[in-house]
Amino acid sequence: MNIDAKYHPTPEQLEGYAEGSLAPGMNVVISAHVELCATCRQSISELEEAASEEWLRSTPDTRASSINFSAMIDSIVDHPQIKNDDTTSDNVPEIHMLDHSVTLPRALAKVASDGLVWKQLAGGINQATVTLDDQTQCEFLYMKPGSQVPVHKHQGSEVTLVLDGSFEDELGHYKPADFVVRTAKDQHQPASEEGCLCFAVLDSPLTFTKGLARLLNPFIRYRFRRATSAAAH
Amino acid sequence: MEDVVSGAGSMLMGSLAKTKSVKQPASVPRVSNDVSDSDEQLLIAVGNHQDRAAFNALFSRFSNKIYAMGMKLTRNEQLSHDLVQEAMLTVWQKAPLYDLDRGTAQSWIFTLTRNRCFDILRKMKRQPATVSADDIWPQEGDIDSQLVHEEAGTMEVEVSKIESFYGQLPAPQRAVVEQIYIHDRTHEEAAAVLEIPLGTLKSRLRLGVGKLRQMVGTEV
Repeated sequence: MNIDAKYHPTPEQLEGYAEGSLAPGMNVVISAHVELCATCRQSISELEEAASEEWLRSTPDTRASSINFSAMIDSIVDHPQIKNDDTTSDNVPEIHMLDHSVTLPRALAKVASDGLVWKQLAGGINQATVTLDDQTQCEFLYMKPGSQVPVHKHQGSEVTLVLDGSFEDELGHYKPADFVVRTAKDQHQPASEEGCLCFAVLDSPLTFTKGLARLLNPFIRYRFRRATSAAAH
Repeated sequence: MEDVVSGAGSMLMGSLAKTKSVKQPASVPRVSNDVSDSDEQLLIAVGNHQDRAAFNALFSRFSNKIYAMGMKLTRNEQLSHDLVQEAMLTVWQKAPLYDLDRGTAQSWIFTLTRNRCFDILRKMKRQPATVSADDIWPQEGDIDSQLVHEEAGTMEVEVSKIESFYGQLPAPQRAVVEQIYIHDRTHEEAAAVLEIPLGTLKSRLRLGVGKLRQMVGTEV
């Protein structure tokens, strides 16, 4: 599937994904964007070539004394080889909306396959949190048509991938496959006129900065701690 | 320059014609002829006829590198040992699926090592098993195979079209395509002329040819 996205991951994020150095939650959201975006797929295969050059160039030839190489080779070549790859098209989970279904990119389909528990938040927002690691908070977000998220800023960074519908904030209007990155400096207020399904990854809690919504702050932090400590054991 | 470029076009069509019969490892021409015992050749030999000598050669070239990647990421000898075992097992098992459209052998082996390492780390940190490496990085370098499928059906493209497509390639890719298809250089020669690593040359060539195919495909 190819969609012309206007907003893409940063070069550092793409590089981290190609190298495998990111937290699982960040890997998942980038993977989902890459699946939808031909431009980023091209970049990834160039970055993987570059990472493999670097790997071979910079790694010392540490010989592991503990490895019995010929025994290992013998045990490997006893295995049958795989002649055709049929792992491509297993189940393709969808998220069912009121009047239509949204087909998810592969990595997100896997994330959602265990079932999502939706919670209603203020302002017409529904949220289903998923735990992928202990460094990020990941969630599907559904914004009802006409909904608005309270003004907030982030302590770390927040990545939002649009899956269906669209949303807008002070800086732009975001459509499916768009990958929106907000850092600690940005304060923004997303709203959605037509309704929007997103997947969001936070590497630290949100802080609401305006009005009554500020009352939510302790709860948000609590929720974040809960989500991350659940991953820790 | 004009006729030289159209020369490139017709040569390119030659190579496109070959790839129509999908999965032909020779879709990027020349590689298998001009590099003796390159990693790519070894990998293809393992895939085509379970060539154990070729596998031994790959093992001795890559196992220490894989072990070092494991030590760097897990700092654990046992896990690094397991990583060598699992990554080289995957090389053996999936070798029949490798072809030059999937990039250089070192990049292919790097990506599958990265993936096994991700899974090992996830177990080590006791992270939820929701997503595995194969969900995150779809099939070890399988991305370009989509281009191959798009080529199904007949393709009749005028050489002059290819010239204009060729002009649209990003400069680095155009330079590589020019060295290989116009100046008819080997990959090694072209890499030396352009002063870039061989792996970079191969990936740019693959991307450049891939883009040309896409342009040809959308035009038909």
